[in-house]
Amino acid sequence: MSDTEAREPAGAETMPQTEAGDQPTTDTAEDRSARVAETLNRLEEEGEVAADYLEELLDIADLDGDIDIDVENGRASVSVIAEGQAERDLRRLVGQRGEVLDALQDLTRLAVQSRTGDRSRLMLDIAGHRAHQKLRLREVGARACQEVKDSGESVRMDPMSAFERKVIHDVVAEKGLVSESEGEDPQRRVVIFPAAG
Amino acid sequence: MLVDVLDHLVRGIVSHPDDVQIRNKPLRRGLLLEVRVHPDDLGRVIGRSGRTATALRTVTKALSDGKPVRVDVVDVDRGR
Repeated sequence: MSDTEAREPAGAETMPQTEAGDQPTTDTAEDRSARVAETLNRLEEEGEVAADYLEELLDIADLDGDIDIDVENGRASVSVIAEGQAERDLRRLVGQRGEVLDALQDLTRLAVQSRTGDRSRLMLDIAGHRAHQKLRLREVGARACQEVKDSGESVRMDPMSAFERKVIHDVVAEKGLVSESEGEDPQRRVVIFPAAG
Repeated sequence: MLVDVLDHLVRGIVSHPDDVQIRNKPLRRGLLLEVRVHPDDLGRVIGRSGRTATALRTVTKALSDGKPVRVDVVDVDRGR
């Protein structure tokens, strides 16, 4: 599967001048809202197919967990959550460094694709792993941004997964700086540059 | 349990779920699980650069309680 993180993070929230409203377009508001509703339906369906696949896995593996389905940033987002001992048991599906979670996310996307026929960019979280990781990474990203602002020089981050890089790109955009990814997985990393001009 | 886990994971991602077969062969240490699928689904189960086969191994091993498990995807066309 190709790298899906691309450069989409910078767009959505930080560059209001590129909002759809400014685009020359011939469709009516009804067309647009119909399209939005259709996309939402499709993403919710993705989430439901994914939840079925995961629920049966939990059942077979004798693990307890509740499954939350959501739509975030144009992607279906599915979280398996539990508390106490059940949460500790669930962490087997996360792994030491999230490698099991990434593997299961790949398989879940394929399961969705085989049912809907469409490529899925669904995000899977288990036992709050990505949520916690995201908070930690945002701190790392914010510190790096401060370093770039203080020194006026670019900073190269450690190699990261696509998910981790996206979190960093998002923080960088919020801080008004510029970032790019360079290199090939698993050595691909984010470079943060001082704001242009 | 591991056979059922792998069976479910594979069935969910193929176009011919009824043709999925998992064979369980005890090894001296641990377990060998052989995955057979419809020839049309072989590429799907292996994935680009073996990425999907690796994902199947990773999830199956995570649920094996530390016992050594090997997961092989068998290319039926090429005999055995």
